[in-house]
Amino acid sequence: MQEIKRRYVIPGDKIIEGNYKPLMNVMKSGDYLISTRIGIAEAGKDGVKVIPLSGVYIPRVNDLVIGKVIDRSSLSWDIDINSCFFAHLPAQDVFGRDFSPARDDMGRQLNIGDLIIARIVSFDRTRDPMLTVQDKDLGKIPYGEFIKISPTRVPRLIGKRGSMIQTIEQATQTRVIIGQNGIVVVTGRDIEGLSLAVKAIKMVEEESHTTNLTQRVKSLLNVHDPSELEQSENALSSTAEVSNDALSSTAEVSNDALSSTAEVSNDAVSSSSSSSSSPTPPVTSNSSSQINLDTQEQSYSTAESQPQQQQQQQNFASVDSSNIKDDVEQSENDDASSNLADAYQKEKKQEANNEVV
Amino acid sequence: MNELTLIDEHGKRSDGRGIDDLRPIKITVGVIKNADGSAFIEFGKNKIIVAVYGPREVHPKHMALPDRCVLRCRYHMSPFSTDTRKNPAPSRREVEISKVIRESLEPSLILSDYPRAVIDVFVEVLQADGGSRCAGIIAASVALADAGINMRDLVSACAAGRLGDNIVLDINDLEDKEGDADMPVAYLPNIEQITLLQLDGKLSTSQFNECLNKAIQGCKLVYEIQKEALMKKYFGNELELKEEVV
Repeated sequence: MQEIKRRYVIPGDKIIEGNYKPLMNVMKSGDYLISTRIGIAEAGKDGVKVIPLSGVYIPRVNDLVIGKVIDRSSLSWDIDINSCFFAHLPAQDVFGRDFSPARDDMGRQLNIGDLIIARIVSFDRTRDPMLTVQDKDLGKIPYGEFIKISPTRVPRLIGKRGSMIQTIEQATQTRVIIGQNGIVVVTGRDIEGLSLAVKAIKMVEEESHTTNLTQRVKSLLNVHDPSELEQSENALSSTAEVSNDALSSTAEVSNDALSSTAEVSNDAVSSSSSSSSSPTPPVTSNSSSQINLDTQEQSYSTAESQPQQQQQQQNFASVDSSNIKDDVEQSENDDASSNLADAYQKEKKQEANNEVV
Repeated sequence: MNELTLIDEHGKRSDGRGIDDLRPIKITVGVIKNADGSAFIEFGKNKIIVAVYGPREVHPKHMALPDRCVLRCRYHMSPFSTDTRKNPAPSRREVEISKVIRESLEPSLILSDYPRAVIDVFVEVLQADGGSRCAGIIAASVALADAGINMRDLVSACAAGRLGDNIVLDINDLEDKEGDADMPVAYLPNIEQITLLQLDGKLSTSQFNECLNKAIQGCKLVYEIQKEALMKKYFGNELELKEEVV
């Protein structure tokens, strides 16, 4: 078995010779595997794939998408999900099983022009995709800044383990909802933060294939250099990270971790409130702990321990961004961009772990 | 006009090329922002812009195919693309070239990946100088790759022809009108298959073979230019991927 380097390919390029499993955008031609898209070819343990750099969105089951209601029949809504197929959202999904077209007024729940975040429950190319809004954090998006980016850039915008989007959210005090179909909605109270976040997202889209993008985004957002930050606010950043770590672990393990996150989040609250009186609190790390707490507040209702101000910040029925990140993380593992790791993030995490021990 | 003006005693053609020379080719990818994929090609004096939209919803709906994608091509010459004004209404020639472009592109695309959808290819000739169907195919193929549509291979195209006893590569407008034969060929360079072969004029069997081989050689040269144009758009000048710290 010969090893291949990751390399750039265009349609028709021979990637590798031999009996490898074609995974994504790869087809067999004679003894060779050839690429069918422009992108980055990768050979892993499981097989060979090409991460595409262009193309429209093709729905996949379990994708989280943002769509716009374009039409309504008596039993379902038609949703434009930025693809060549329109999706259907059955009314039963919103009203429950006892939905009756005669009794229930569909317009009360969703109107034409509304934006929703939904999950694709079924799609096999022979029929249009079916959506659901039944899960937690799915449903109507009441307000926000609407941005359309290329669906191939979505994994890069999220970054390795959500690093890129976390950076943007924390620095601009906004919430960013990303659909796998390339539609992004940014919400926030601060107009300046909102426009800065939009700017950063557009920058990521335009320069997604370049190296050192995370650094450039950070400098656009005026995020402090990691080394400086570490020295000045070591304790604060590490507690913030702890809550972050615990949060992600709860997503996986659920109940056991729940109690521990509640504790950790309490710690984080106390430390962040105490540190707010410190002479030079960097905006970013402070807000990071806030955002983490917010998501916990929604997920596990540990609201009693939260400061009032933080509760208000999330008073609309929006989507838990941490949840989206968990979802996209899996698909994002497939991505070339995932290799562009944020070394700083890792370093910090390590330190945080040490502290916990 | 006699044949001497087409090839002089030094073996030079009317525009100064040798018998095996291509006209200068320049391809720019992604020139139309609103299209899903696009390309602009300058093939000698030909200037052609191609836009690709899709895969997208089929309108009218009854045209949709349940098992594969519909490919629609429109080859159109601008009224100002020729010496005398060309009527902008689609002529018989344009309808025919639209069809041959579609049929030469179809084998390179994996249309079964996008059932019930349509891909629209618009080929607009801004300036014509012979061999515009070949140039249109070259640019359309690059634009399809730019649109991110699954393809088996790029399609490259090139014409060859006969001027008297000489078989020459890449016929221009004058040679097309005054020469003895013109043979446009579209070719899948990696799969080594021909997707278009037309012939206007007379060739003997040996001349035909020589002409076909020469056209295929031309296609391979064109392929390198297509590849370079795509690489430049997507990866800049670095052709090797640098491993990054994980």
